Amino acid sequence: MAESEKEIVVEDPNAPAEDSPGVANTRTVDIVVSLLLIAFAGLMAFDNWRTGMGWAPDGPKAGYFPFYLSMVLGGASLYGLVVAFLERAGAQRIFVNRDQLRRVMQVFVPTCLFCLVTQWLGLYVASFLLVAGFMRVIGRIAWWKSLLTSFIFALAMFVTFDVAFDVLMPKGPIEALFGH
Amino acid sequence: MKSMKRSTLAVAVFALTAAPALAWEPTKPVEIVVAAGAGGASDQMARMMQAAIQKNKLMAQPMVVTLKGGASGAEALMYMKSSAGDPNKVLIAYSLIYMLPLSAKIPFNWRELTPVSVIALDQFVLWDNTTLPHKNVKEFIAAAKAANPPFKMGGTGSKREDHVLTVFMEKKTGAKFAYLPYKSGGEAATQLVGNHTQSNVNNPSENLEVWRAGQVRALCVFDKERIGYKTKVTDKQSWNDIPTCKEEGLDVQYLMLRAMFLPGKVTPEQAAFYVDLFKKVTQTAEYKDYMEKQALKPIFLTGSDMLKFLEEDDTLNKNLMTEAGFVAN
Amino acid sequence: MEALGLLLHGFEVLFTFKTLALMMVGLVLGIFVGVLPGLGGPNGVAILLPLTFTMDPTSAIVMLSCIYWGALFGGAITSILFNIPGEAWSVATTFDGYPMAQQGKAAEALTAAFTSSFIGSLVAVLLITFLAPSIASFALRFGPPEFFAVYLLTFCSFVGLGREEKHKTLISMSLGLLLAGIGMDTVSAQLRMTFGWSELYRGINFLVAVIGLFGISEILLTMEERLALRGHAASISLRVVLKVWKDMPRYWVTLLRSSAIGCWLGITPGGAIAASFMGYNLAKRFSDDKESFGKGRIEGVFAPETAAHASGTSALLPMLALGIPGSGTAAILLGGLMVWGLNPGPLLFVEHKDFVWGLIASMYLGNIVGLVMVLSTVPLFAAVLRVPFSAIAPMIVVSCAVGAYAIQNAMFDIWLMLVFGVVGYVFKKIGIPLAPFTLALVLGNRAEDSFRLSMIGAGGDMRVFWSNSLVGSITTLALLLLFWPLIGGAFGRMRSALVKKTA
Repeated sequence: MAESEKEIVVEDPNAPAEDSPGVANTRTVDIVVSLLLIAFAGLMAFDNWRTGMGWAPDGPKAGYFPFYLSMVLGGASLYGLVVAFLERAGAQRIFVNRDQLRRVMQVFVPTCLFCLVTQWLGLYVASFLLVAGFMRVIGRIAWWKSLLTSFIFALAMFVTFDVAFDVLMPKGPIEALFGH
Repeated sequence: MKSMKRSTLAVAVFALTAAPALAWEPTKPVEIVVAAGAGGASDQMARMMQAAIQKNKLMAQPMVVTLKGGASGAEALMYMKSSAGDPNKVLIAYSLIYMLPLSAKIPFNWRELTPVSVIALDQFVLWDNTTLPHKNVKEFIAAAKAANPPFKMGGTGSKREDHVLTVFMEKKTGAKFAYLPYKSGGEAATQLVGNHTQSNVNNPSENLEVWRAGQVRALCVFDKERIGYKTKVTDKQSWNDIPTCKEEGLDVQYLMLRAMFLPGKVTPEQAAFYVDLFKKVTQTAEYKDYMEKQALKPIFLTGSDMLKFLEEDDTLNKNLMTEAGFVAN
Repeated sequence: MEALGLLLHGFEVLFTFKTLALMMVGLVLGIFVGVLPGLGGPNGVAILLPLTFTMDPTSAIVMLSCIYWGALFGGAITSILFNIPGEAWSVATTFDGYPMAQQGKAAEALTAAFTSSFIGSLVAVLLITFLAPSIASFALRFGPPEFFAVYLLTFCSFVGLGREEKHKTLISMSLGLLLAGIGMDTVSAQLRMTFGWSELYRGINFLVAVIGLFGISEILLTMEERLALRGHAASISLRVVLKVWKDMPRYWVTLLRSSAIGCWLGITPGGAIAASFMGYNLAKRFSDDKESFGKGRIEGVFAPETAAHASGTSALLPMLALGIPGSGTAAILLGGLMVWGLNPGPLLFVEHKDFVWGLIASMYLGNIVGLVMVLSTVPLFAAVLRVPFSAIAPMIVVSCAVGAYAIQNAMFDIWLMLVFGVVGYVFKKIGIPLAPFTLALVLGNRAEDSFRLSMIGAGGDMRVFWSNSLVGSITTLALLLLFWPLIGGAFGRMRSALVKKTA
């Protein structure tokens, strides 16, 4: 085998355990998704019926296709709902276990916060906060490394998009201080 | 509304005095908002102005083209409306500012924006395919009347300039057309070449390439007078050689404005800066070259002249739309 | 001969300092996203797309296609060194590539992978070069009914031939079509399904959905798994490269066979995944020494890589010629074309010759430059994997947000991306396929418009879809494919009945 310096090893100390208890089974998720899709199809069908779903002399009206598509969506989801109710196997399959959900939330919640902050403080400040915070809190990387990396990253993004390629990103009060 | 009137009045005053030392200048990159997709006439015009401003150093800050063509341009209108007070956005507008609020019930009124200047007028031409037997408007109309199924007329968008023109041709002549709303003038042009439609009412620039290739024939121009440019464009014809529709016995006229607007609630100093800027743009070689290439009608209106023009144009378009039955209730 | 002239013109368009620089940048970025876990071809291209928005279309597509080549090359690095396929189509590469790395022959395996991907792409590009001119003359025959027939064919083949449960394909496709319809209806100039909300006027952009569905949801899925990895470092010396190249001609049958499979599956939307497995399996079946496959045989790297890249490249042909993407990445490039104001479809070859031939020329050049670059920089990119995921994950999130925002300069799209991220995560886990959804979102409006334009033109007469031999045969084929499961079943029953009778 190769000697040690010819190997690249990355560890994952807090990986989700295989035997962590399940939070939801596939059947429940199937049922919830089907119900949501049916509700969505109903809403769309109503709006298209209001727009006009008939067939004018020169072809279908604006609501014609979407109306029947929402019927197809509703029908297929209803079928899925029935299948999910009848099928037993789905109840045993775990959709997500507790450890996995915790890890997913570790990314998902910061991402939501990032979007919120982008709205008020602009994208660059938000990405600085996200990268630094994530590296520090979840990756447990040293403060100075986290701050430096995220600062360089945010600056590089700014130079690439706003300066080099003229693609303007949402900005907040801090960029305004520097005249942008 | 009140502050709007005051600011437009101020624009007029500033334009007249043309203050040499301007009090205000943008400190951020300026966005030209295009109410159409990439590559369309508005986009090309925006990029021409961007180039003219940068090459001739008319402004210190860079100019960025922002495409907001979603929902047939309604996206751009809503974007300008919601940017009230922001002097770093200019809209390059055309007749959609009158038509869209009527046909699609968009909560928008151009009076909520600050008019800067009208910079050009666009022509419409009636085109057919060169392989078809009819050589002039009379023969074309006669053939259209006799045709069953009816002739297909290509155009850009529904319940817009091209569609309105088609309805008016129907009213004046008694012929019936099946109007096909394509997504762009380019598509309407190639579909005419491929014989999938019998005619279209494209702007000169949209059919320029296929006209030069001898694939389409220009029947007449929808204006009171012929187009002014006399240099040969095809082997035989210049823009000036196309007769007006009225000369050919089809009394329909329509011109489309190309105008610049700022969002509402900007200060008179800010508006004055842009009036001056676009005045300078119309004097550049890039602008003049572009006008001839696209066969646009040169014009420059600002202040109260512009306001008067807009009000008259609005009434005209509203009447046309109402008569065509395109106003949503 | 016409093709050659046009191609030379394409090279002329390309040879400017700016485009060459963009090519290099694109390749580096591409290899980078190819190597990173949780990214990869389609996502990488989608996220980097905004960089090109202010460019002219030719520079933009050159850069994007180079990102694409880069990502294809990058995928091979992780498969061979770490046994982690960066893309589904690299799975077959790991079968023999990783064992080779374990035996200390990582450099050979990498060289073999890069060279064979180069050959696969080259064959596909040659095919495109010689087919393209005939498409241009064919293009003008396409009016609204012909366009609709082609879209119908694509949708029907998904429903009829897809392997997922039918109702799930149907859910995915109808949801995509519904969402595509939101906003302004171009035929009647009416707003629909907006509920008076002005953020919805512009409709739901397909690229925003893709970034959410693939980018964000991929990160969520990646987090669920164990992220530890163990692999081999490698650097490639010129000596090894020359040795592999010298041995290569011996495998010409394998290379040729895989290229042919790849091209065929790329043009008919079978995809690179199927191509790579088929290439590998056929090479194994026709080999004299079947046992040595899976134990580090170089032919086992040549076969899948050549097929995957031939297919990935030839998938661009139906995208350019008919506006129908043959692969996920081709679908993103299609979205890009629309942002730059180009209408993909047969008319592209007539209206934008410069663009099409610039792209084809860039395929040749990008491949050569990419091969040289990737051979010389392997150690650098392999080291990227040492960067902890907790630093990479937030950076990918930010890149996704930038991508989603820049498409239409709308904050609302960032939120939409987040919603699609969750939808993608749930759908993937309960087995609703995402491919029909994205396809429906990208083609939905165009299919509906072309149907309605056909109806207006024909005065509401459905017979227009059988009005000439071209449109008639496409429509008939589409319906056959849609009912293929029923027809196939009936055939099967008939045959078994016949067998019983004769027996």
